[in-house]
Amino acid sequence: MSPDILEDAMELWFGPQHVSAHGWATKLTLVGDYVVECDPNAGYFHRSAEKVLEYKNFRQGALILERMCMLEAFLAEYPYVAAVEKIAEIEVPERAKVMRTIMMEMSRLHSIQFWWGQFNAELGFFTMALWPWVDREYSLDAFEELTGSRHTVSYSTPGGVKYDFTEKSMKQLNRALDRFEDRLPKFRDMQMGSPTFRARTENIGLYDVKQGLKWGLSGPPMKACGIPMDLRKDDPDPNLAYDMVDWEVPITENPEHPGQSDALDRMEQRFAEAETACEIIKQLIPQIPEGPIIDPKARGKANRLPEGEAYARVEGTRGITTLWLKTQDKAQTAYRAKIRGPCIASYYALKDLVPGSKFADFIVIFGSLDPYPGWWDR
Amino acid sequence: MGFFSVLGDFFQILKHTFRQVFKRPFTYFYPFEDREYPERTRGRHIHVRKSCTACAQCVRICPVVAIRMDKEDKKYEKDCALYFDYTRCVFCGLCVQACKFEALFHTPVVDMSEGDREDLIYGPEKIETLDREPLKWRGRRFR
Repeated sequence: MSPDILEDAMELWFGPQHVSAHGWATKLTLVGDYVVECDPNAGYFHRSAEKVLEYKNFRQGALILERMCMLEAFLAEYPYVAAVEKIAEIEVPERAKVMRTIMMEMSRLHSIQFWWGQFNAELGFFTMALWPWVDREYSLDAFEELTGSRHTVSYSTPGGVKYDFTEKSMKQLNRALDRFEDRLPKFRDMQMGSPTFRARTENIGLYDVKQGLKWGLSGPPMKACGIPMDLRKDDPDPNLAYDMVDWEVPITENPEHPGQSDALDRMEQRFAEAETACEIIKQLIPQIPEGPIIDPKARGKANRLPEGEAYARVEGTRGITTLWLKTQDKAQTAYRAKIRGPCIASYYALKDLVPGSKFADFIVIFGSLDPYPGWWDR
Repeated sequence: MGFFSVLGDFFQILKHTFRQVFKRPFTYFYPFEDREYPERTRGRHIHVRKSCTACAQCVRICPVVAIRMDKEDKKYEKDCALYFDYTRCVFCGLCVQACKFEALFHTPVVDMSEGDREDLIYGPEKIETLDREPLKWRGRRFR
């Protein structure tokens, strides 16, 4: 880049006060309407979760994890619970495995419903922002009926789950699913048929598989390139019930640019993810076995853990979420915990992805990667 | 787009409008009415002193140190007084699960705003009683 162009350059902070920037700030260098440099800044949402985990015992720790990302609370708290189960060698009852899987997929559906509305609100397509949020209320009602809380669910615990399904909570769950499945085709037509939406997302934020792997992306941003990488299939967790279901990894392949994905592909990928989540839940509900929801010995085992370390991961809504946990012998709290959220990769991918695009497209690129500041600031 | 299709759309809109006129509003006349909360709602606690054994499991499990107990203050043989700090409580429900003697419960009362921070620290008198019946006027619509 010649220095003459940069003479007129303007530095602009996008966030932390901007409405779309909920807890993050990015420094953009603009020449006219074009972004020439993008500098993502983390740290505005830092809550020192890793340090806090060193002071909480193993039954309290999952509460911190679910607050990392409350949109996918069931998924977010799972890696911690899985790591504790691995170290303490706790066995999970069959019923708890299926119930966990159902609620994790429900959480994925809820997160996608929220993202869908949020993305459209950022684009100014406010009708399609509010309609998915109406359906999201039904998912939240199902969470509230089951756990007693809409967001901070506090559901998984070492050895199983805390709350059993009741007739009413099952009814709410089915109601949320049926409503979403009923309205999805109509909404999809509205979304994809909108010429303004297509003009703003087609060929915007285009990257290929190689770049995605270089940045460390995972989950829907990679599956939108046509790569079927999914932990639920590649490395099935023995404490979850994905092997009981017949399903395919959802991918999006665009014939116009094979091996690449733009913002529109990532939107379509989210639809496919939501459909798969519904399919998995619908198959699992009739298969819920009878039995206890928690191992009665788990409470005693989780009080004091033996020396060891464990690495647990889960395919979250935004990508792979991992947690590494190290304990000392007969310890009541963790020696060290390390969280790696999926969004840190997609946030720093903006550094290479945004330069060259228009300023108005910045929020489209950012929103299409579905970032959540809680995951990169921890 | 012909004349009749526009007319059809026009009647479609009118139909929706008239339907809304005869429907109840979706909003509640808060605080005089409120929606019905599920049975498991994790609202403010209630302490049943008669069955409390002062085992302090609730105090130990609380991740935010919101519960304080006073073992000297006894009403019955084994019980104790509990002080709940609702400026700290995150309503995680661990204390209720830790209680093996059915002495601590959540109630569906979730609106507990106060003008003073000190009022949010519930002493033994406040935590043992409900100032109003939680389900008395919940879910009732006056309009």
